[in-house]
Amino acid sequence: MDNTHIKNKKLLMTRTGAEREKQQSAEKAGKPITKRVRITITLTLFWFMLCGTGSVTPAEEWKQAVTPWQWVFPRDHGQHPEYRTEWWYFTGNLSDSQKRRYGYQLTFFRQAIASSPLRPHNPWSVRDVYLAHFALTDVSGKHFRHYDRSSRTGPGLAGADKDSMNVWTLNWSARMKKNGIHLEARQGDATLKLELRPRKPIVFHGEKGRSRKGPQEGQSSYYYSLTDLETTGTIKTPWSREEIRVEGTSWFDHEFGSNQLTRDQVGWDWFGLHLSDGRDLMVYFLRKSDGSIEAASSGTIIEKDGTTQHLNAADIRMDVLDRWTSPRSGAKYPSTWQLRIPAARIDITLAPLVTDQELTTTASTGITYWEGAVAGHGTSEERDVAVEGYMELTGYAGSLGGVF
Amino acid sequence: MRVVTKSFLRYLLKRRSLSVLQLLGIACGVAAVVGMTLSAGSALSSFAQAVEFLRGKSTHVIERPAGPMEEKILKNLMNDPAIEAFSPVLDRQVRIESGDTVRLLGIDPFLDRVVRPELGYTPSAGDSSGRLGQFVDFLRKERSVLIENGLAAQLGVQPGSIIPTSKGDLYVLGLFPNPSGEPLLLMDIGHAQELLGLSGQVDRVDLILRDETGFRTRWSEGYRIQSHRQRKETLVAMLSAFRLNLEALSLLALFVGVFLIYNTSMFAVVSRRRDAGILRSLGTYRKEIVLAFLMEIMLFGIVGGALGGVLGYLLSRFLTGLLGNTITNLYFFLRPAAPAWSNWIVLAGSFLGCGASLLGGFLPLQELVRLDPVEALSGRAASRKAEKKTWHVALVGFCIIALGIALLLMSFVHVYVGFAGIFIFLLGIALVTGALLILIGPALKWVLYHLGGLPGKIAAGNIRRNLGRTSVAVSAFMVALALSIGLGAMIGSFRQSLLWWMNTQLRGDLYISTITDTQVPEDFYREVLAIPGLGGVDPFRNVQVTYKDTQISVTSVDASVLQRYTRFGWLRGGNENWDGVKSGAVIISESFFRRFKVKEGSTVTLEGINGPETLKVQAVFYDYTTEHGLVMMDRATYLRLYNDRTINSLGIFIDPGNPRRQELLEEVRRRARLRGLPILTRNQLQGNILTLFDSTFAVTRSMRVMAIVVAFFGISGALLTLFIERRRDFGIYRALGFSTSQIAVMTLLEGLGMGIVSFLLSTVTGTALAIMLIKVINLRSFNWTIFYYPAWQPYVLTGAVALCASIGAALYPIWKVRRTYPQMQIREE
Amino acid sequence: MVTKPVIRVVDLWKQYGDDNKNGVALRGANLEISAGETVALFGKSGSGKTTLLNLIAGLDRPTRGLIEVDGQDLETLGERGRTELRRKRLGFVFQFFNLLPTLTAFENVFLSLELIGKPDPKTAREALAAVGLEGKGPRYPHELSGGEQQRVAIARAIVKEPALILADEPTGNLDTATGNQVLDLLEKRCREHSMSLLMVTHTPLTCRYAHRILRMVDGVITEQTSCAEIER
Repeated sequence: MDNTHIKNKKLLMTRTGAEREKQQSAEKAGKPITKRVRITITLTLFWFMLCGTGSVTPAEEWKQAVTPWQWVFPRDHGQHPEYRTEWWYFTGNLSDSQKRRYGYQLTFFRQAIASSPLRPHNPWSVRDVYLAHFALTDVSGKHFRHYDRSSRTGPGLAGADKDSMNVWTLNWSARMKKNGIHLEARQGDATLKLELRPRKPIVFHGEKGRSRKGPQEGQSSYYYSLTDLETTGTIKTPWSREEIRVEGTSWFDHEFGSNQLTRDQVGWDWFGLHLSDGRDLMVYFLRKSDGSIEAASSGTIIEKDGTTQHLNAADIRMDVLDRWTSPRSGAKYPSTWQLRIPAARIDITLAPLVTDQELTTTASTGITYWEGAVAGHGTSEERDVAVEGYMELTGYAGSLGGVF
Repeated sequence: MRVVTKSFLRYLLKRRSLSVLQLLGIACGVAAVVGMTLSAGSALSSFAQAVEFLRGKSTHVIERPAGPMEEKILKNLMNDPAIEAFSPVLDRQVRIESGDTVRLLGIDPFLDRVVRPELGYTPSAGDSSGRLGQFVDFLRKERSVLIENGLAAQLGVQPGSIIPTSKGDLYVLGLFPNPSGEPLLLMDIGHAQELLGLSGQVDRVDLILRDETGFRTRWSEGYRIQSHRQRKETLVAMLSAFRLNLEALSLLALFVGVFLIYNTSMFAVVSRRRDAGILRSLGTYRKEIVLAFLMEIMLFGIVGGALGGVLGYLLSRFLTGLLGNTITNLYFFLRPAAPAWSNWIVLAGSFLGCGASLLGGFLPLQELVRLDPVEALSGRAASRKAEKKTWHVALVGFCIIALGIALLLMSFVHVYVGFAGIFIFLLGIALVTGALLILIGPALKWVLYHLGGLPGKIAAGNIRRNLGRTSVAVSAFMVALALSIGLGAMIGSFRQSLLWWMNTQLRGDLYISTITDTQVPEDFYREVLAIPGLGGVDPFRNVQVTYKDTQISVTSVDASVLQRYTRFGWLRGGNENWDGVKSGAVIISESFFRRFKVKEGSTVTLEGINGPETLKVQAVFYDYTTEHGLVMMDRATYLRLYNDRTINSLGIFIDPGNPRRQELLEEVRRRARLRGLPILTRNQLQGNILTLFDSTFAVTRSMRVMAIVVAFFGISGALLTLFIERRRDFGIYRALGFSTSQIAVMTLLEGLGMGIVSFLLSTVTGTALAIMLIKVINLRSFNWTIFYYPAWQPYVLTGAVALCASIGAALYPIWKVRRTYPQMQIREE
Repeated sequence: MVTKPVIRVVDLWKQYGDDNKNGVALRGANLEISAGETVALFGKSGSGKTTLLNLIAGLDRPTRGLIEVDGQDLETLGERGRTELRRKRLGFVFQFFNLLPTLTAFENVFLSLELIGKPDPKTAREALAAVGLEGKGPRYPHELSGGEQQRVAIARAIVKEPALILADEPTGNLDTATGNQVLDLLEKRCREHSMSLLMVTHTPLTCRYAHRILRMVDGVITEQTSCAEIER
């Protein structure tokens, strides 16, 4: 997808880690916090765990993201154990030689339970728990499959290196070798084996990668992205007989911090889009429990040359053109959207590539949401463009506000 | 209801006491079978359920051939493409305060929830924060466990409670349901390692495999990979001999039951002869009479059987516990759930009762079919004819005995053939009883005459005269007593053999940690070795390994120590056999030798950590520890083969002449106490083994009691019928001037006479039975030789039972006579 | 009187066992009884009287000779036929009553009706009333006196209105007065229903109720003329 050139503008999107419940009420009046629900879903379990026990290290003992980070690579691709939460996040749009389109998602989360294990000599003694999500979308076959798993560090079962990117949860892994990132995942009939090479420099969010999330000093995280990764490799879907050679574009985020979530939102609608004229677009709307849209909802345009342009909520107009009701959960999701950003002269229509890309994680987290590959068309700076990317819709199968 | 049928069934009401006895007899016979079947079924299904439940979704298991496995291989397993999911498990036992052992599973909840989602200890987002907190505690809090509901109820614990165990206090975090009913504790694998002192080790890894063939090619050497089907089969096969024994026991009970029904049906026919004659004279068809009688015995079968079903169910609740203990003692931990009540039990009982009634009533029915109405009406019992018939029957009996013995000799085909032989043998003996009674007649007359004078003489005459009835009663009673003697003598001989065996092998002065749930740390072994002056220390290790797809035991010992201090019972040779063991050969148990037909001087091939290894068989020794076969080797050989350094127990040997003997013993004790290791003297250990032995025969003993109870009802019913039949005679005796007490003596002596004859016959039959059980059944099903030790106890015990039963059975008629004697007249009914 | 014989016995022999000397109960007995006729057969104990009755009833089989009941040869009738005959055409009255001890007086009588396929309780009650046992139907045999028991037996025999009643020492177990009552009854009922009656007895009591008197000696039947001869 060489048409998705990205300008280096800052993407104003913030994420939060887990936080203790008692601090939440203090936060309510403060600046609303935005986040990507796919992370919070997985972390819910551990956020509760932290609330449920006093034996675990209290939040104060964790390092807070209060000062600008001195970035050193490849060291900072590795883990930062002094911070409580950390994730490595990959999504991508792929196609094979017959131009059949696919989408994938591979995510690793590290959640610390305690600042140190009780018995350091015993590898089973818990400090961090690693969680991971893996999803594949087969656009032409209209198939979607997702998996999730978790593991403690154990005797080499999961973990992340400290000096470079090498993160794994059982046999799902992301490893950086010679400037390329190697992704591997296998579960059931689905496998993924990709090599990702960055075509753009690293994009730091917030103040040199310190991304603020709330009014208080510590409510921040460190956050950078590789937005344009040339991707080649093979995948095997549950519906294909053999491995498929694919190529395409991937997106990588890495973020770490020690802060917690808020609970005053119902759900989120999030878009990460590649326009065929080379612009990338990220739009993020937070729906509040009173029906209003969070003022901090925002977006970013990354221009073809890599420059970025911040968008406020007021700059973005989103209209739902059609909806889809899940036969499993009964949730009614918006499916077709019209997205207009007059300031950037963007007017596009979007629809899912596969209608049903709903994740029902009853076996693990119990939260149901929609996340998947989307495509559309429209105009960008008065020229016709095609659009491709990922969309995430949460809080439709029951409000998340109470849960979070 | 047809009047004909009514005329028959009215008897049941008219002779209520007799009917009750008959019903109880059938009920007890059926109860024995139902109880045994239900509890055996329950034990086996509980076992299968426990295996299934803990299996979860896993398809295979990988483990070391012996001993635990290093956890570092998990990382390799994780990357194996054939594996869909895996879960490491530490599977051990802890002893709780009551002395029971409870299974403790150490698991990793993250990995395990894929393999065993139904355990449900991992919380999900919908759960309360308390449950999530519990999960974090499970991961973070040492010594914390989740406890299975049943065990929690049994111990009366709830979240927050503390369970004291042999490994220290455990904290209960929460409860979880376990449909298999097996008492279970779950612990985080890391905490379990710390608790059990097994850092870096797991017992096995449960796998969900996608590609078994591929996986096996990569992991064949040094590991044992079993599919769950194989594993279950292996485990179930371990129970097969045990199960067979249970089946045989319940069949024995049924055999006695059928015999009793035959007995009672025969009496029924005898007492209906005259009525049948009248009915025939009135123009009733033969088949109508037969049908009416059939109805009567079927009614008995149905009602008695239904009652037996209920009793059997109650019995099974008791037996299930016994069975669980026995299986736990002998094989693996099992606490079977008591069988659930179902109305089908009553139906099955009725069905069984009917079947037994038909079987038992077959011959009596023939009798009725052949009834001569003229004879029946005239009341001529044609005693000469009966005697002639008795000889015919005896002849048939001898043929059947011969057949039984022939089958016993053919038991090498299958042990069932042996059992069939025993049954047929007993049947044959029962048929010969009538003839024996005739032969014994004069002697009995002499005995009873000297016991009770004229009434005694008449009593003996009565037994002889009513041969048709008495011989049936005597044979039924004899069979039951013979069973009692046979089982008793067999158990006694086994016990004696065990005592002998213990004195050959367990000759240590002290034994440290002989309990299955504990281990001796290797450094303690070295510490004890270093004590100067000790004669020898034997580090004992026993593991289950797979040999030719079955489970056998491998035992590691110190050959030189045992050579010096023990006197093994060798099939051939003496203690010089140890020389070979010291240089790498093995010795095998008799059960191994018989089961796998492996002879002295040949070889066995065991899967070791470095692949298969062929070992020379030096000698064969007598052993009763396992019927599945045992291979014993020196510790050096064992370590080379399995690299498993676990030690289960230490045997301490001190030369008897050592002047510092007491001092040394005290020193060893002191050091063991410091480590918290249990210490047993030789006598204590042997006592424990005997207790174990006795508890394993609890089921057999209860079946023996059942047989006697059934027999008691049988003999009582038989005697009662006899006396009721002869009420007219009592009138005659009264007319002749017999006093009430003389009649009482006569009745008593008649009962006693039958008891004595039954007992005498049963001593011979019982001894024969014991020898058959020892030489054929045990050898065939357990592959070991029990030496026959004659003992008086079973005979005395059974004799006492016979005495009590026969006297007890005579008491009711005596009471009845005392009450009605003054009114008795010589009159026809 | 009708001339057609209800029973015809020709040269009847019966031998028990193989023993030639003692085992022969009948040695060529001949007998003919017409319908409605009452015949008394005298004889000492062991003279073969009961054997003859058993043979006529088809309960036993003769060694040699012919028995015809109602013109049918018993031998050719077969077992089933003989049972059928007993059921429908013959009534039995025994010395020891032979009531079924587990059935009430009524049920004992009713049994006969049931066997001939006419289970009518009214008939049974009437039969009991006819022998003077009204209201004693629910009693069991052991609750009745000897005479009453024999009356039940008579009711049982006549209720099915057989062609022939065979009575084996019907008064043998009764005192004289009761015996006379019973015989009275038996004779009367037989006359009313024109049934033939063959009484076997060794007491002269029976004599005056009979149309014809026979005597059996060592298995052979001879005709008698009067009661006086018996009493002698």
